[in-house]
Parts: sequence; structure tokens; C-alpha cells
Amino acid sequence: MMQKKRWIKRKYTKFIIFLIISSIPWFIIFLVTKTIETQNNTHSDVKILNYDTLKVKSPVNHTDFEILKQKFTDPSQVTEACLTCHNQRHKEVMGNAHWAWGRENIRENGDTVFSGKNNIVNNFCIATNTNSWKCTSCHIGYGWDNKDFDLKDYKRIDCLACHDTTGAYEKEPLGAGYPVKEKQNFADKTYFPPDYNFVATHVGKPDIDNCGKCHFFGGGGNNVKHGDLSSDLYHADKYMDVHMDESGNDMTCTDCHETKNHVMKGKLVSVSDMSHDRLSCEKCHEGDIHSNNVLNRHSQKIACQTCHIPEYAKGIPTKLEWNWGDAGKLDKSGHKITEKDSMGNVIYATPKGTFKWGTHVIPEYIWFNGKADQYVYGDKIEDTTKVLQMIKLAGSYDDPNAKIIPVKIHRGTQIFDTENMTLIIPHIYGHDSTAYSEGLNWDIASKKGMEYAGLPYSGKYSFIKTEAAWPLNHMVSPAENALQCIDCHSKDGRLANLDGFYMPGRDNNNFFDTLGILFIIASFLGVLVHSIIRIKKKKNII
Amino acid sequence: MEGLHITDKIQTPREIIMRKTYIYKGFERFWHWSQAVLIIFLIITGFEVHGSYIIFGYETAVLYHDIAAWSLIILVVFAIFWHFVTGEYKQYLPSTKLVKAQFKYYISGIFSGAPHPTKKSSYTKFNPLQRLTYLGFKVFIIPIQIISGLLYMYYMYPENPIHIGGLDITAVLHTFGAFVLIAFLIAHLYLLTTSEHPKAAFNAMIHGWEELEKDPEEEHKEHMQSAVDKAVAGYYRVDINGILIDVNEAWLNLYKCSDKNKILGKHSSVTRNEKNQKQLSEVIDRVLNGESLRGIYTERRCFDGTSGKHILSMNPTYERGKIIGAEGFIIDISDVSSVQEQMYHSVRNSEAGYYKIDMNGYYVDVNDAWLRLYKCDDRSNIIDKHYSISRNENDIKRIDEIFNLVTKQGQTISSEIATRRCKDGSTGKHILSANPVYDCEKIVGLEGFILDISDLDINA
Repeated sequence: MMQKKRWIKRKYTKFIIFLIISSIPWFIIFLVTKTIETQNNTHSDVKILNYDTLKVKSPVNHTDFEILKQKFTDPSQVTEACLTCHNQRHKEVMGNAHWAWGRENIRENGDTVFSGKNNIVNNFCIATNTNSWKCTSCHIGYGWDNKDFDLKDYKRIDCLACHDTTGAYEKEPLGAGYPVKEKQNFADKTYFPPDYNFVATHVGKPDIDNCGKCHFFGGGGNNVKHGDLSSDLYHADKYMDVHMDESGNDMTCTDCHETKNHVMKGKLVSVSDMSHDRLSCEKCHEGDIHSNNVLNRHSQKIACQTCHIPEYAKGIPTKLEWNWGDAGKLDKSGHKITEKDSMGNVIYATPKGTFKWGTHVIPEYIWFNGKADQYVYGDKIEDTTKVLQMIKLAGSYDDPNAKIIPVKIHRGTQIFDTENMTLIIPHIYGHDSTAYSEGLNWDIASKKGMEYAGLPYSGKYSFIKTEAAWPLNHMVSPAENALQCIDCHSKDGRLANLDGFYMPGRDNNNFFDTLGILFIIASFLGVLVHSIIRIKKKKNII
Repeated sequence: MEGLHITDKIQTPREIIMRKTYIYKGFERFWHWSQAVLIIFLIITGFEVHGSYIIFGYETAVLYHDIAAWSLIILVVFAIFWHFVTGEYKQYLPSTKLVKAQFKYYISGIFSGAPHPTKKSSYTKFNPLQRLTYLGFKVFIIPIQIISGLLYMYYMYPENPIHIGGLDITAVLHTFGAFVLIAFLIAHLYLLTTSEHPKAAFNAMIHGWEELEKDPEEEHKEHMQSAVDKAVAGYYRVDINGILIDVNEAWLNLYKCSDKNKILGKHSSVTRNEKNQKQLSEVIDRVLNGESLRGIYTERRCFDGTSGKHILSMNPTYERGKIIGAEGFIIDISDVSSVQEQMYHSVRNSEAGYYKIDMNGYYVDVNDAWLRLYKCDDRSNIIDKHYSISRNENDIKRIDEIFNLVTKQGQTISSEIATRRCKDGSTGKHILSANPVYDCEKIVGLEGFILDISDLDINA
């Protein structure tokens, strides 16, 4: 009996030891998992490189300068006054795209051309051309109202647009870059002539108010063009933009778009196709910054923006579609029509056509290697049955330099010459009846616009669908709002349209998956049949 | 000890007995269950990564999958090491023998209640089909899953020296491997129910022991074979010409010979001094004529030229009824005092008796010579009995001591003179050897030989 008892005791001790030993690896796994989880959860400070938080304020007091006490009648006099001290600075400014509105670009076919706002066609208001008096209200110069504007005349540089710190300096929306000369109403706003002495004696480094005035209103309205740049950023919370969050990082534009000698970092692909001087998140956020290394490895193929800008136009809506083809409709009494949606967005305007707007828009995703090409005046349309790409972003999965980026795609329908196979640059705005907005005649507007642009026009036109991809870089969400794996790693995820590569969770090989499932079904059936026969036969035996 | 000829005949009619057998070692069980849990977990998380369903959330699923994958890799590395160190890998070497029979059993025999064509034992744990399947599992599916899995984890296109153009092939292969694993799992579980005692077979994977059918004769042979290999008694075998054809380790130690090959093939006369040559040739002659000799005292000549004393037994070996040689055991008596030395001259009837006792002191096995010495006619009378029945009360203390020395301290006992109590109540004297029996470096019992010295006149 004793022997037996001892044997049983030993058996149980053994069993317990076995249990303990078997559970040790699982315990270790559990611990490792826990540590990784807690590491992920700690909101440790984000590691930042190359970023100087120390903002030095210039000790210079401009009110002391005699030259700024003179009576200014023309803003150009302010410019001249500035340059008496800031000697030669105008040369830097004039080399900048903010002034030149263009730069030398190497095109897809290898040609080097000078391209920019003056010869690139878009699918919003189509081109500057005859409209430049309107467009140049955002030019850092004075008086660019026709193509003969002298880009070498330094007196026309507008220093105040960028360096005003008072907010009391404003350009007139239709004034070719000049502020109003006397009190004037435009839309719902009243514009006053600026107090040049006050403004000129209160200058400083540009901040969001200076940049935003133009860059938030591209396309003729708040957030119309970019989708990720709007007046929402003036007073952003962290959900709007984690960098510009007023109660947080409170950064301003030039903190990232670092500027030296009037040259700023960062170029927009819609007007610049060379892959240099681009700004990227890695400037400050470098290295393995995620605690989950799988995410770090993702950054080889995926831009930061892809996950960290999960949506754009988070406040003010942005324009997603512009169909010029619908323009020209009049109501029964022959008047122009303006239709608005419940949010107050114009969705139809007789001189312009149909619009589509969106807020909290989910980006589309494409491969991008940094090289872009745009539709420049006179480019031939290869295939009118296809959607014409206005901004071609190069890159594919096989391209070692390409990453997946989020883009806003602006879809348009616009006029083109069916004989010459080129996009038409019509005379859109103006106070004369040849302008489309007044006369509503495409033929006349096209003839005038093309003549001004120096391009042939056959007189035959139609409308073509166009697309422009605008990379999204702003309105960065905080980490907790970044995309989750499943957003892309799923059958109908955000990257559903990108092909040429296998992505777990999205892709599967139908043949082998079916084969595998059949394999499992076959083994189940085998088991089923085999066991049925066994049970039946056994019954017979009994 | 290939071709061991032990002329032990089982008198009891052949019957199948059930014997509790330690079939799955500790590590093996740990490995099996850890691997099972890991693979099932990998399948669950893996198919979430594949996009088949949502359980943990994608990021967590990937994290768990990676951790489980690394755990499995570590486990597999240890398992490979274990298999080679213990030689257990041999269990998986495919044998074409009986594959067909096993296959036939599964597709027809099983339905009519035919017996399993193969027997499970601790030496052949798997049937031939299992061998093939598990081998395929180990050298094919698991390596493919691990290699494709590592590529899956670390292949970053295109920053790699090897260009396989993305995850495509890797992922498809890895996923298909998972399907195969599921099918394996289904078949594996189902085939468990086809074993004669599914519950017992399952439990065996938990505590290691399983009641297995045993052919007593086979089991007995196994015991003898391993006993001879490990005994302190020297075993030898000669052919009809007196040429040595087999010896065991103990024999080599007694003869101070380092290499088995130095002695095999030599004539047995090299083991004697000149004066003992005549005795040896006489003994061999008698045995080759069919006699079995016991308890012969002799002096050996070791390989380093020294000499030693031992008693030997010798019996003829048969093949198809014809004597083809002789074999026997020797037990060293060199360090026994000279007075006692004399008594071995008259030792007779010392055909070696073999016994094996488990850790609890119960007899596991004895041979016929042992039964004869103990005047016992049936092995079943002694198996599973405690060793104390083989001693008179006053001798029990000594055998307890020996038992403890061997099983607790791992000592080897040689040249111990003991008085046995036979079944009929009479006593006899024998000299015994005892050595521990190991299983996985653990003592699981003891075994040894006894040579009879009853008729010796102790007072002489």
C-alpha cells in the first residue's frame, strides 16, 4: 500500500513539474507581449531631429528708421525703402518661385523647359493666361496683369505680403497684386488701403498668417485646391494638425519649410517636377521611430503621410470635381443660375459648371518616386477616351525610390481642341463679353484665350475628363488617429486599387486558396466517409 | 549485439500480455503539445493576417503570429537537437516494410475488425504510414513554413540581394502550407480514433506511459539483449571453431581490452595462459558436443599481460537444431580472498541466471536459468513479485542494502555471495552481479546475473 501511495504521489509531482515546465515558455511569451504592448502604449516624446525650438526675436526696432517714416503713396516705395538696408535681398527673392512663378523643369521626355503657373494647365480655372490680373493677387509682386510683366523690375517686389506681422496689410483680390488704393468692398469683405508706415515698421519673419493668405485660398477659395491647406490651420487643434496644434506643438509653416536666403524647402508637384529640395517628414522624424518594428519596415515603401493623414479637408470642404462641360445653363427667364447644397457650397454656377465638394475626405493612394510631370501649354492629348492626367506622378511598386503616398485627386471635365488634340485655354474671366463668364460662348472665349497664349485653335472643341493628383502633406493627425493595419490590409481596404504587388490581408491566390479549402474539405469528407463505414460495419459485427 | 543467441526457451504458452511502457519521453511530450498549441495558434492568427476573419485585430494578430513563429523556431531547433542526440530520429526513418499492409488496413481491414498490422512499442512508436507522414511533416511542411515565414517577415522588396520580386510566391506558399497543416491536423486527430485504445493513446502523449501489447518472448529477448549489453557480467560467443565472434563491454573491461575489433575473429585460446589452454579446449569441446557447463573457475590472460580470475558459464548455440558455437557469461572474482578462491574450484551448475527488478523492487523479468536455480517452474509465479520473497528473513537486510546501493547511488555490485530462498523453501548459494538500469539517464531499476555456488564446501 505504502509503495502504491508513494507511486501515486510521485506521479502527481511529476505531472505538476511537467505542467510548470510546459508553462514557462508561455509565461515568457506573455511577458514579451506585455512589454511590447506597454511600449506601444506609452506616449513617450516623439524623437525629433534638426528642429530648433528656440525662436530668436530680432532686436531690431524698425520704427527707429527714418526712411520708414516717409509718406508712402505707392507700395513700391516701401520695397525701395526695405532694400536700402536689406541690400541685394531682391536678387534672392527674384530667384524664388514665389516671384518667378516657374522654374526650369526636366520633363518626362527629357526636355528642359521653364514651366510654372504661366504655362501649366490645371483643371480648376484652367490657366493664368488672360486671367492673370485675378490670379496675381497672390503673386509677391505688384501689377502683374498681363504677360508683359517685367520680372526683372525689383521695385515691383512685394516685401510686405510675407513680412507683415500686423495683419493690416492685404492685397486686393482682383488687383494684380496691389492693395486697394481706397476703401473697397469685395464679396462680403471690405478692404482698406494699408497704413504703410505702420506695416513697414512692424515687419518680421513670415508666419502662418502671411502664408495662409495665399496658400489656403488656392483655386479661388478656402481649401478649394489643396484639400489639406485651409484656414482651419490658423487655429488648429491636434486633431486638425498635430504640428500646428495651438495648445500643443504650435508650429508655424516655416518651422518645416525652412527658409534660407529667401529659398524655402518644399516644392509642390503640381508646378514643380524635379525631385530635389523636397521636404519630407524624415527631416525631423528619422530612423526607427515606431516601437513596433514592423511599422518601421513599412516606411521603406510607405510614406509617413499615408498612415498619418487618414483624411483631409477636416473642416472647410475642398473641391473634388469641376465639370466645365455643364457650364452655360440658364434658368427659364434667361438668368444665370447658382445652386448651393445644404452646407452653402456652390454646386452649380452657370459661368463655371458643376462642382462636387467633400469634407473628411479619404485620400486616394498612388506610388510616387518624387518625379512629376504636368500638362504644359500645347501638350498633345494621346488618347481622348482615357482620363487625361494633368499631374503625372511617376513611380510603381518596382521602383526602388517609390513610396505609397496619399493624394487628393481633383477630377475635372474641361474643354479641348478636337483637331489639334490640345487642351484649350479659354478666356474665362473678364468684364468683356468675350470672357466665358460673361458671354457664355466657348468658341469665342477659346479663340481669344488661345490667341493670347500663342497656341493654335481649330474652332472645333469638345470636353475631356481630367485628373490631377495633389499629394497630401498637411493636416497630419495625431498618432492615435493614424491608420490601423486593417485599413489597408483588407479586401476592400484603402490600397485596393494599387496593383503589382502582394499585400497580406488584401491579396490571395484564388487557385491555391481554393485548392487548400478543397484539401480541407476532402480530408473532412474522408474522415466522415471512413468513420461512417467503420460505425456501420461495427454494427454488423455486433 | 546483433545476432544474439540466447537459448532461453519460454515454457509458458505464447500469449499477448499488456505491459505499461514508457513510450513518450518528457521532452517529446513537451515538444508535441507546445508544437500543437503553437501551430493551432499560428493557424488562427495566420488566417487573420490572410484576411479571412477578424479576431485579435490585424496588428495584434501579426504581433502574436511573429512571436509564436519565433517560439516555434526555437522549439524546432531544440527538437532537432533532441532527435539527433537521443537517436529518436530513427523512429522517423521510412521503412517500406508493411506500408502496403498498413494502407490496406486503413482502407479495408479496419472495417472488418482486422488486427493492426504493426505493433507499437517504445522502439517502434509509429506505424510505417505514420513514419512517412511525420517525416514529411518534419522535413517538408515545417521547413517550408519556417523558411517562407522568415522570408515573409524579413523580405523587403527591393532592398535585398536576392530578388524574388515581392511577397507573391512566399505568401502563396506559406498560406498553402497552412491549409496542408489544417488537413494534417484533421487526419491526425481522426487517425487517433483508429488506434485500438484512443483514450489510452491520447493519455500516453500526456504522461508518457501506455499499456502496449507485448509478446512476452520478444520482451524477454529485449531485456536479455539490453542486460547483456550493460551487464557487469562479461558475455562472449564463439563459433564452432572456437573463434570469438561477439563480446560485450563488460567482457572487454575484464580483459582490459579497449577495442572490440582487436579481439573479434581471434581464437579463444588467446584469452588463456598456457597452463589453462587445455582446460579451455576441453570445456569448448564438451559444450560443442551439447553440454551446458556452469560455474567453471578459470584464470584469464588479459590483453595487457596481467591475469585475472573469473567463473564462467558456457552453453551451446543452435541454429536450426545444429550446434553452431558456444556462448556464456563470466563473472569476475579476482578481488575475492584466496580462501574463498578455493571454493570456486568446485562451483558447479552455474549457468547464469538473469533477473531484472523495477524501482519499486518488483521482478520485471527473469530467465530460465534463474527459474531453475530458484526451483520455480513458471515465470508468472515470480514476475511482479517483490524481491524480498527470494530471501530468508535474515538476508533481506543485505539485499535491501544492495537494492539501495544500485538504484539510489547507481553503484554496480559484483562478486556478492548471497543465499537465496527457493520456491520450495530450500536455500541455495549464488554469486550475484547487479547494475542499475537506465532510461533517459534515470535509474528505473536494476538487473544482473547470478551464478550458482550452492554445492561449494565453504569450509574447505
